Amino acid sequence: MIRIAVFLIAGAAGALLPNLFGSPLLLTLLTQAVISAILATGVGFLVRQNGLVSFGHAGFFGLGAYIVALSATNAWMPIGATLVVAILAPTVLALLLGAAMLRLGGVAFSMLTLAVAQAFYELALRWRSLANGDDGIAAQLPDRILGLDISVFQQAGSMFVVCWIVLVLVLFGLSVLIASPFGTLTLAIRENEERARFIGYGTIVPRAAIYALSAAIAALAGVLFALYNGFVTPNVLYWGLSGEALVMAVVGGTRAVWGPALGALLFFLLKNAAGDLTDHWPAIIGGTLIVVTVLLPRGASGTIAMLMQRMGVRTA
Amino acid sequence: MLIQILNGLVYGGLLYVLAVGLVLIFGLRRVVNFAHGSLFMIGAYVGYTVTAVAGFWAGLIASVCVLTAIGAALDRFVFRPLQDEDPIVTMLVTFGLLLVLEDAARTIWGKEFLTVQPPAILSGVVHLAGTSFPVYRLAVIGAAILVAGGLSLWLRFSRVGLYVRASSVDPLTTGMQGVDTDRLSAMVVAIGAGLAGLSGTISAPLVALSPSMGGSILIDSFVVVVTGGLGSFTGAFIAAMVIGQLHNLGVVFVPAAASMIPLVLMVLVLIWRPGGLVKAGA
Repeated sequence: MIRIAVFLIAGAAGALLPNLFGSPLLLTLLTQAVISAILATGVGFLVRQNGLVSFGHAGFFGLGAYIVALSATNAWMPIGATLVVAILAPTVLALLLGAAMLRLGGVAFSMLTLAVAQAFYELALRWRSLANGDDGIAAQLPDRILGLDISVFQQAGSMFVVCWIVLVLVLFGLSVLIASPFGTLTLAIRENEERARFIGYGTIVPRAAIYALSAAIAALAGVLFALYNGFVTPNVLYWGLSGEALVMAVVGGTRAVWGPALGALLFFLLKNAAGDLTDHWPAIIGGTLIVVTVLLPRGASGTIAMLMQRMGVRTA
Repeated sequence: MLIQILNGLVYGGLLYVLAVGLVLIFGLRRVVNFAHGSLFMIGAYVGYTVTAVAGFWAGLIASVCVLTAIGAALDRFVFRPLQDEDPIVTMLVTFGLLLVLEDAARTIWGKEFLTVQPPAILSGVVHLAGTSFPVYRLAVIGAAILVAGGLSLWLRFSRVGLYVRASSVDPLTTGMQGVDTDRLSAMVVAIGAGLAGLSGTISAPLVALSPSMGGSILIDSFVVVVTGGLGSFTGAFIAAMVIGQLHNLGVVFVPAAASMIPLVLMVLVLIWRPGGLVKAGA
């Protein structure tokens, strides 16, 4: 009950934000931040539940975005079906890949996540007749999507609310899942896969399911990105984006479900503050990743939790 | 057809020289160096700069020396301090390095494509079975064979090679037997990075140099290392040769989807043999 109340308040509070900020530039930035927050939540959830690091979630994000753009432009499917396929296809791909790659252990798995995403990047770049290479695709989206006018999705003020609600729903769903028996089982597998197998659980399918779920969240973010921007380029598949999502998750900390989302917000504040330095943005991301990984392994959410605990001890 | 096979050998050879560095580092430190493609790229650029001043051979030597030094530093300041951490921490740090190095190269050498000419003695073509083939490409195949042969002999017959192989199977036990794994690791990471530099420089006349040039070959070498069996030298060699051929055939016959072929092969191999082709240390 308390959980539902917290998420209801969070959802309502976010929906009121656009009225507080008059600046359209800030709103644009915040909308992008929330879309990235959803992607980072997927990456962080994989770390939290599986103990695995994905260097390739841009692959699922970009796949979702490309399916929306391609299907809408070439009129493959009605838009409702397109949105479903754009989320389901990467999910199924992740489930199958996961079943093959998860037998290998963490190091090889991480290498392969990067390889898979980069292969899709090259595909989008080289298959010019389909994806128009480096120039990308301007999606011809229909006027109405799921009963809402297209402008709802393409104006920062309203899209911020849509994305925020999606983010809150995702976080709510994940927090329910974590508390469920399945959530506990995956944590047990993360801690000691062999023991979980001794007790009699199959371990590959639950792990692949977590990977697929985190891919679905990334694809969802990609779909929102395509609807909002109406434009996709191979950059949505590039490892720079995977790296950004990873930095957000690491900066925010993955112990709390909401950590990566907090990380995304901090990330965008940093990006805003970087100003003229954005030419060297990749180096800043890389540097931040190194510093935070080494010095603050718990991330912001972990540090906050630790501080609160300490204060609690003092006041008690 | 012969030409296609030879081109496949060229790419496979470059891939092997790069992948074997990854296998060496994995054997000692149990981590994967995500920045390995960047070392390849830096090697190509250092070769480019020195070649412009002092000629190709000086460029080759300079590049290997610079990258060997970078490798030693990488072990001293990244791998060694982090050796007791989760491997994920080290991988995150090397991934951060990848982004930093790519940006550094963009700042120093610019975004535009650069080209390097092969040395005069290796320019020109030879006639093979009715068609012509660049001498330089044959030389690259030769260089890859030399590196592969030299490494195998070193691993098989020298004492250090024995330590390296032992450590690939079990670094902890190797350390308990009295092998100074820190010193060994510094040397091995330096060699691995030097090989990446070598691979970068000799591929410079074959491709256009750009800061992101390390990307696709890094991915292919990851696929090689995993398909061959993480930590296996023989496996890496076999996988590099097969993927070199497939990559080249893919580029010729299905250019749009060429990047997918190594992945499909890898998934099939992993379904067939989940641990990769050959056991670690072999």
